[in-house]
Amino acid sequence: MPRVPLRLIALTAIGMLLLAACGQSPGDPRGSSGSDGEQVLAVGAIPDQDPQELQRRYGTLADYLKEKVGVEVKYVPVTDYTASVTAFRRGDLQLVFFGGLTGVQARTQVSGAIPLAQRDIDADFRSVFIANTNTEIEQFDDLDGLRKLAGHSFTFGSDTSTSGRLMPQHFLSEAGMSVDDFSGNPGYSGSHDKTAKLVEAGTYQTGALNSSVWDELVKSDKVDTSKVREVFRTPPYHDYHWMARPDIDDQLGDGTTDKIKQALLDLDGSDATEKKILDMFQAGSFVDTAPGNYAQIEQVAQRLGLLN
Amino acid sequence: MTTTCRREAAESPSESSGTSTPPPAPERGTGAAERSRKRRGWALLIVAAIVISAVAAGIGRGQVIKSEGAGSLFDFFAAAASPRLDAEFLALTGTAMLTTLAYAVLGTALSLVIGLIGGVLSSQAWWASGVRSRRGRRLAGWGLARAVLVVPRGIHEVVWGLFFLVVFGIDPIVAVLAIGIPFGAVTAKVFSELLDETGRKPYTALLAAGSSKWSAMLYGLLPPALPDLISYGFYRFECAIRSAAILGLVGAGGLGFQLALSFQTLRYPEIWTLLFALILLSVAADYWSSLVRSARARGRRRSRDGGGVRRDPLLTASLVFGAVLIALSAWWVGLDIAVLWSGKAWEFGIQLLSEAWPPSVGGTGVSGLLMLAGVTLAMSIVAITIAFGLGALFAVPASTPAQGRDHVERGAVARIARTAAMLASRFVLVVLRAIPPPVWALLLLFVMYPGILPGAIALAVYTTGVLGRLMAESVDNLDARPLRAIRATGASASKVFCYGVIPAAAPRFVAYGLYRWEVTIRETVVVGVVGAGGLGLLLDHQIGSFNYAGALTTLATLILLTLVVDVTSAAIRRSVR
Repeated sequence: MPRVPLRLIALTAIGMLLLAACGQSPGDPRGSSGSDGEQVLAVGAIPDQDPQELQRRYGTLADYLKEKVGVEVKYVPVTDYTASVTAFRRGDLQLVFFGGLTGVQARTQVSGAIPLAQRDIDADFRSVFIANTNTEIEQFDDLDGLRKLAGHSFTFGSDTSTSGRLMPQHFLSEAGMSVDDFSGNPGYSGSHDKTAKLVEAGTYQTGALNSSVWDELVKSDKVDTSKVREVFRTPPYHDYHWMARPDIDDQLGDGTTDKIKQALLDLDGSDATEKKILDMFQAGSFVDTAPGNYAQIEQVAQRLGLLN
Repeated sequence: MTTTCRREAAESPSESSGTSTPPPAPERGTGAAERSRKRRGWALLIVAAIVISAVAAGIGRGQVIKSEGAGSLFDFFAAAASPRLDAEFLALTGTAMLTTLAYAVLGTALSLVIGLIGGVLSSQAWWASGVRSRRGRRLAGWGLARAVLVVPRGIHEVVWGLFFLVVFGIDPIVAVLAIGIPFGAVTAKVFSELLDETGRKPYTALLAAGSSKWSAMLYGLLPPALPDLISYGFYRFECAIRSAAILGLVGAGGLGFQLALSFQTLRYPEIWTLLFALILLSVAADYWSSLVRSARARGRRRSRDGGGVRRDPLLTASLVFGAVLIALSAWWVGLDIAVLWSGKAWEFGIQLLSEAWPPSVGGTGVSGLLMLAGVTLAMSIVAITIAFGLGALFAVPASTPAQGRDHVERGAVARIARTAAMLASRFVLVVLRAIPPPVWALLLLFVMYPGILPGAIALAVYTTGVLGRLMAESVDNLDARPLRAIRATGASASKVFCYGVIPAAAPRFVAYGLYRWEVTIRETVVVGVVGAGGLGLLLDHQIGSFNYAGALTTLATLILLTLVVDVTSAAIRRSVR
C-alpha cells in the first residue's frame, strides 16, 4: 500500500480534532445544557413507569422550571435506583423524583434533604398482588387473605422498589406471612412489567407490583388476563416524591428551593406545557408533602435492613 | 524455567500459524506414564465436578421446563422482524451507538496500557532475568504481580461501575475505568503469557550486552510479540463494546442505557433495534480485526518465502486510526481526567472505604456465604460445560474454509454451501453474544422454573457466542501443513478432520474453555434475576441497601473463587500440555 492513505488519515485526523476542540460533547453523561461557570440545577429521576418518555418529559419540565425559577436546568439521565441515590448524595443531582424507599434512603444519606411535593396520586398509592389463574386463587378484599399465597412461588419486582417489593413485603407480614412461607425463595424480577410477564408465563405462581403499572398493562392488553389476574389491592400508602438537596439555596441563591416547590405546586394544566408535564407524570396536580408521610416506609425499610 | 515456558494459549486469538503444533514439551523427569495418570485424574475430577454441579442445579429433579411460557419467548424473537425504525428512535439509537463506541475505545485504550505494564511485570521473563536478584525474591515478585491482577479480574464491570460512581459521580470517567481496569487485568494476564511464549534469545542477548532490564524488554521482547499483542487488543475491543452496552445502567449512557430502559418495560421492538445496532458494532470491530490479522498472515507467508519482513501498512494505518478514534471518543463523551485527582473524588473515595471497612459477614453467616459460593460455582460449571460443547460444535463450520484444509477438491456447489454454513454460524454466534446475559436470563425464565439452571443456561448461551468465536479463530490459525500432508495420503475430508483438525485444535479449545470459566464466575453477578441467587443476588441486595461492608465480603469471596478457578485451570492446562 502506498503512503498516501496514511497521510490522508493523518490530515483528516487533525482536521477532526480541530473540529472537536471547539464543539460541545454530544455524548456527555452529565447532561447537555449549561455552559461552564454557570450555576445549573441538575434534575434526575428514578424511572418506573414508562421510562422511555423520561427524556422528553424532562426536556419540557426543565424548560418550565427554568422559566419559573430563573436558573439553568439540566436533566441527567440515570436508570438505576442505587445510582440516583448515590448521585444525589454526591450532589451531582440536586432535585430528584424519588420512589418512596429511595427517597427515604436519600434522606438517610443526605441529612436535611427536603421532600418538596408529590403527585396527587402518590398520596393514595397501592400495590396489587397477582396470581396465575392455574393457582385458582380467587380475588379477596381482606388483608388476611394474603395467607392463601402460602405454598406458592412468589416474585417481587426490583429489590429497592417501594410498590414492587417494600410495601408488598410489609403487607405480607401484616397478614402474618413471611417470605419463608412461599415455595422456594422469592424472586426479584427487576421491574413491574417483568413481574407481570413472569406470573403470566407461570414461572412464578404469584407476584406483586405497582397498581398503576398493572392497570395500564390490563388496559393496553399487554397481559393475558385469562392467565394472570389481580387477587388483592393493598391499602394506600405514600410513594413517589420530589426531593431537594439542602444546599440548593446556597448554590443557586436564597429562596430557590421555595421557588421550585411553588413552581411544582402551580402546575394545574392551564396551558399546553403544563398539561403536557402533568400527563407525562400521569398526575392531576402536584401537592405538598412532608417527611412524616414516609415514616411507615422508613420503619419497614429499617426492619428489612435496607437503610445503611 | 525457560523450557517450561507457559504455552497457555488462552485468548491469544491469532497466534502465528507456525506455532500451533506445540513442540514436544520436555518431561520434567516424570515420564509419560505419570503424565497420563495425572490426566486421567483430572478427567475424573472434571466429570465429578460437572455431575455434582448438574445435580445441584436441579437437573433430573422434578420439572425444569414448562411450555406455557413459550408464547412469551416467541414474542421476543418474533419482534426481531419488526424492530422500531421511526426516525426519532433511529436518531436516538445512532447517538447511543457512538457513545457506546466511544466508551469501548477509551476503555480498551486504558486496558491496553494497564495490560502492557502489568503484562511485563507479571511475566516470568521479567522476573527471571535480574542477574543479581535471588530466586526467592523473584518468585515473590512474580507471585505478587499475578495476585494483584486477580482482584480486578474477579469483579464484574458493573460492580466496578457502581463503585466508581460513588467516587466520581456521574462522569464519563466512570465507564472508562469500569471497562479499562478489569479488562486491563485480563489483558495483563494474557500479555504476560504471550511474552513468555515469545523467543527470549534477543532479550537475554541484550541483557548480557549490559543493557538495562527495561530497554532489553522494549527492544528485545516486545517487538517480536507486538503483532500478537495487537490482535489480542482487537478482540478486547469487541468485548469492550458489549461491556459498554451493559454499563448503561450506571449512568454511562449509550446503547446500554437505552437497552436498560426498553428492557425494564419489555418493549421488544425497541430492544431489537438496539440489539441490531450492537450487532453492527460488533461485526464492524470483528471485520477490522480480521482484516489486520489476515494482512499479517499474508505478510508472514511472504517473509517465509524469502520476501523479507516488511512493515504492514494496514497495521500502521489501523494504529493511526485508533489514535484518532481515542481523541474523538474523549471529546464525544467529554472526558476530563482531572477528576481523578479532584478533592471531591478523594473525599468520597475515602468515605466509601471507611464505610466498607471492616467487612461484615451480615445475615447469611459464613456457612451461608459458602453455600452461595457453591451455588455460584455450580452455576458456572454447568454454564461452561454446555458452552464448551456448543461452542466447539459451532466453531468448525464458523471457521474460514482455508486452502489445503477440508475441501480442496470439492466442487463449486460444495464450496458455496460451506461458505453459507460459515456465514450462518458466524451470524448465530454474534447474535448469541450480542444479547446480554440478563436478557437471556429473563427469556429462559419464560420457559423454565426459577433456579440455578436458567441462570446457568443463560450464561451458557451467551458464552457459546464468545467461545465459538474464539474457537473458530483458533481453527483458522491451525497450521495447514500437517493437514495437507494427511490429505496427500489420500485421506477423506472427514478423516482429515478427525485426525488432523481435532487433535491440533483440542488443547486450544480446552485453554479457551478454562479461560471463559473464570469469566463466567464473574458474569454470574448479572443473572441474579433468575431466583437462583448465589453470590450475585446477595451482592445486588447489599449494593441496593448501601451495605458496603457486606458487599466487600461478598466481593472478597468472589475474588477467592476466581483465584481457585485460576489455579485449577492452570493445573488442568499443564496436564493437557
